[in-house]
Amino acid sequence: MVKVKLKYFSRIRETIGKTSELVEIKSTNIQDLIEELQAMGEQYSVLKGRDFAVFSAIDQNIVTDVKTSIEGATEIAFFPPMTGG
Amino acid sequence: MLNKIIVAVQKSDFDLNSEMETLKLKTEKAGAVVFFVGKVRDLEDDKLKYLEIESFEELAKSQIKEICADAANKWDLEFILVKHRFGRLKINDNIVLVITSSKHRKNAYEASKFIMEYLKSNVPFWKKEVADKTQKWVENS
Repeated sequence: MVKVKLKYFSRIRETIGKTSELVEIKSTNIQDLIEELQAMGEQYSVLKGRDFAVFSAIDQNIVTDVKTSIEGATEIAFFPPMTGG
Repeated sequence: MLNKIIVAVQKSDFDLNSEMETLKLKTEKAGAVVFFVGKVRDLEDDKLKYLEIESFEELAKSQIKEICADAANKWDLEFILVKHRFGRLKINDNIVLVITSSKHRKNAYEASKFIMEYLKSNVPFWKKEVADKTQKWVENS
């Protein structure tokens, strides 16, 4: 088990009800982490991306493949499609 | 490699005149300056109370720096500035400023469009429209 800081933004932040949290995880990639978080509570099912695409960033690098390794990561962020400009 | 790139992700407003004066000091060889300003607009079928812009500040800044560096590689530019605001904004408040400057207009125009297109869907900002009747997160159109 390793400790990692999770950050949530926009609709995901609202659904989960917090901006960030420190959690102990055993997952080694994004997909497994989402499954692991879902076991912590129904609110985390928003990360499955049924209503909108869910993006993630590992140590502030945006990743598109849910199989991307999170080993050694200290911060993982989850957010919906970006709407800047 | 262009070294006159200024990027900011900020709550405060920006001033177009002072940005122009800063630019002039740095771009004596440039004859073209393109300003793009994105501002808050009212809704078609509801009255906007305010627009809340959320950002992942550190990542947004690094993503913008990256796209500016890409633009500097693609076009011969003398200066690039991108300032993007976050927080609670009212109708007509400024949201984003993109300034590109080059010797002649073509490069500045094209680079401005390139940077703005990227900002719309690749930089971590999210907009929530809070209006009289409804409130909703903006989706990309």
